[in-house]
Amino acid sequence: MSAADLARLQFAATTGIHWLFVILTMGLVPLVAIMHTRAAFTRDPVKRAVRERMTRFWGQLYVINYAVGIVTGLVMEFQFGLSWSGLSKFAGNVFGAPLALETLIAFFAESTFLGMWIFGWGRLRRGVHVTLIWLVALTAYVSAYWIMIANGFMQHPVGYEVRDGAAYLTDFGALLSNSSALVALVHVALAALTTGGVFVAGVSAYHFLRRTTETELFRGSLRLGLWVATVTSFFVVVVGEMQRPVIERTQPMKDAVLRNSGVAEAQARLVREHGPGDYVPWQDTVRISMDVMTIIGNTVSTITLIAVVLLWKDWLLRRRLALYVLVAMVPFPFIASVGGWVVREVGRQPWLVYGQLTVEDAFSGVSTTEVAVSCAVFVAVFVALAVTNWTLITRFARRGPDATQLGATEPLPAQPPAGLAPRTPAPLPHATASLSAPSSPLSSVTES
Amino acid sequence: MSLETLWLTLLGLLLAGYFVLGGYDYGVQMLHPWLGSRGGAGEDRAGRNGALDAIAPFFLGNEVWLVAFTGVLFGAFPHLEGTLLSGLYPLIVAILVGLVLGNAAIQLRGRSGGARARRVWDALIVFGGAVPALCWGLVIGLLLHGVPRRADGSFHIGFGAVFSPFVLACGVTTALLFAAHGAGFVALRSGPQLAARASRVGARLLRGVAAVGALALLLTLFGAGASMTNRVTSAVVAALFTAALAGAWWSFAHKHRVRAFAATCCATALPVLLVGAGHYPYLLISSAGTGLDIGHAVTDGATLKILSGFGVLVVPVILAYQSWSWWAFRGRTGRRHPSYF
Repeated sequence: MSAADLARLQFAATTGIHWLFVILTMGLVPLVAIMHTRAAFTRDPVKRAVRERMTRFWGQLYVINYAVGIVTGLVMEFQFGLSWSGLSKFAGNVFGAPLALETLIAFFAESTFLGMWIFGWGRLRRGVHVTLIWLVALTAYVSAYWIMIANGFMQHPVGYEVRDGAAYLTDFGALLSNSSALVALVHVALAALTTGGVFVAGVSAYHFLRRTTETELFRGSLRLGLWVATVTSFFVVVVGEMQRPVIERTQPMKDAVLRNSGVAEAQARLVREHGPGDYVPWQDTVRISMDVMTIIGNTVSTITLIAVVLLWKDWLLRRRLALYVLVAMVPFPFIASVGGWVVREVGRQPWLVYGQLTVEDAFSGVSTTEVAVSCAVFVAVFVALAVTNWTLITRFARRGPDATQLGATEPLPAQPPAGLAPRTPAPLPHATASLSAPSSPLSSVTES
Repeated sequence: MSLETLWLTLLGLLLAGYFVLGGYDYGVQMLHPWLGSRGGAGEDRAGRNGALDAIAPFFLGNEVWLVAFTGVLFGAFPHLEGTLLSGLYPLIVAILVGLVLGNAAIQLRGRSGGARARRVWDALIVFGGAVPALCWGLVIGLLLHGVPRRADGSFHIGFGAVFSPFVLACGVTTALLFAAHGAGFVALRSGPQLAARASRVGARLLRGVAAVGALALLLTLFGAGASMTNRVTSAVVAALFTAALAGAWWSFAHKHRVRAFAATCCATALPVLLVGAGHYPYLLISSAGTGLDIGHAVTDGATLKILSGFGVLVVPVILAYQSWSWWAFRGRTGRRHPSYF
């Protein structure tokens, strides 16, 4: 393997794994925000306690996933400069702007507000606290917008002109309204919501299979998750199809590969336009990924629709087979989303900036040893993080709301002498309820 | 001030902000097993660590200063970004691996099952603090000393460049300084017992910073260290740095915790000013007075204008909500602080 191939593998592996975290983060955070809002606007103290527990339970799973999402995202910001300095030489004037704006407008705010939300339980006023999670949700999607603008420029460069071998920005408006970015953004957002909805529905179904006593909590979660998944999975298929005309117009080779006809003609045309070279991406990989995505998309859409109908009079909760199906469905949106990523990114090879700069030409020229070492380290670390992430999510999802640590207040004994008093276990399940009880030391903070 | 200088100032501000905020995170990460160990001051049986509690609510908001720095570096100075990051490849990779493991460990430590798992996370937290702290110091050393640029402007650091006495001295100085800075933060935010202990540790670490920093200064005076473009400016910044160290040490010794932390904040930010102002208008030198200057590093004028339009709105907003988060979680840790990490 050449150094460039290794750098490619490093980029693909790290981006692909990062993407799996991102899609769940984006899918869960609006649901957590909705739950938190409902809890905050509930007057009945018993119902509110249930809804707050629900928020903290799903918030816990979201925050675990966000932890690995943010650390892998940190690496992504550096990847371009590390291995692909040709990109900043050629397109830095254009491509750098959306990345800079993504960090300043979105990433910065998302992380700061999430930190405040995590530690704000019992410390911030309820309205402020709910606003924070909505800000986190909003900035997550703003972040996605800017990233898709940067990616859209690589897929279908617009709003620029080339002078002396470098691209210059001429039309910022065109860059921001790139059809290759916007349609894909909607598709990605819907796919994320599908993933989040299916995840919430699946975990809730698991708890009904285990005959949970938290019926109120999981019934509400299941309904919310299923409704979101049903609506979004319908539109994710529709918007996905809407991308085909854009691809046909902007990336004739990818279109030919997906239709499985006219690949030779597209190759001949690209050779005429850009000189000799191999312009055909891995055809089978792209086509199989497309099929996998389509089949999963349609299946999920159908199953969730049936399940929503079965929600009537809680029929669904009494049908164990249906619950098993919902649990089994959890991984499939992730697989489909990787398929979509492969179609979009592998399908445009060998281009880094379509029609302008090939991946090969953009490589930094770092030595093979260095790339081999960093590739091995990064892949190992990212895989370890993915395994840890899913192990922890599974563990906390199975344990249920009683084990939630997020927003749990420690018991506050009056400074027992160190090493003498055995530690009392934290009264986790009742922590939230204590927030609304006037006797709690925390409630004075909440109300002040 | 021209637009490009303004953006360089913002870039410097973001990096300095990262050094100050990320710096105390790394310091606390390095020290936490010792500051919060069996002495009973910091750690209890459930594994809560007093030192980690101190940084917890700010941690997620601190790390993003680096992300914003990288974003602005790419957006406003793309011709520096590609050269710098690929030139420093092994160091940047080491920093990233340290960051990833350390950040993940801080956030997931509390989710672990037992004491054994927690020990693994603790080791990763220390690793994730020490490696970035040391490597950022090495980067500062290389930028002060100059890098071997080739005819096409690219460069590539090798083993010899990193393991020169001056660069190593800068690395160790920075690592020790971040540790002292972290101790200062723990002293500021923790209960009396832990705070007193952190103050003592901080004062001791500062003596180390002074010793290794003096070595770097001596090497420079004998021509084997930094080669500064603007000598007077550099001397002034270096003098300020020394004053900040001395002030921090004095304040630690006299239990002025706010003053001590303010002084270590200055000391962690000043190296960024030294690199920026000491070499201006050069951003990346091969030796004093030659290298990549700001005019060749900056993005196209049209792009810079668009970025400025956003920057005028966004930067004050960022400073506002960051200040809000510092205000919201002010005060010492303990009773009213929900723990999570």
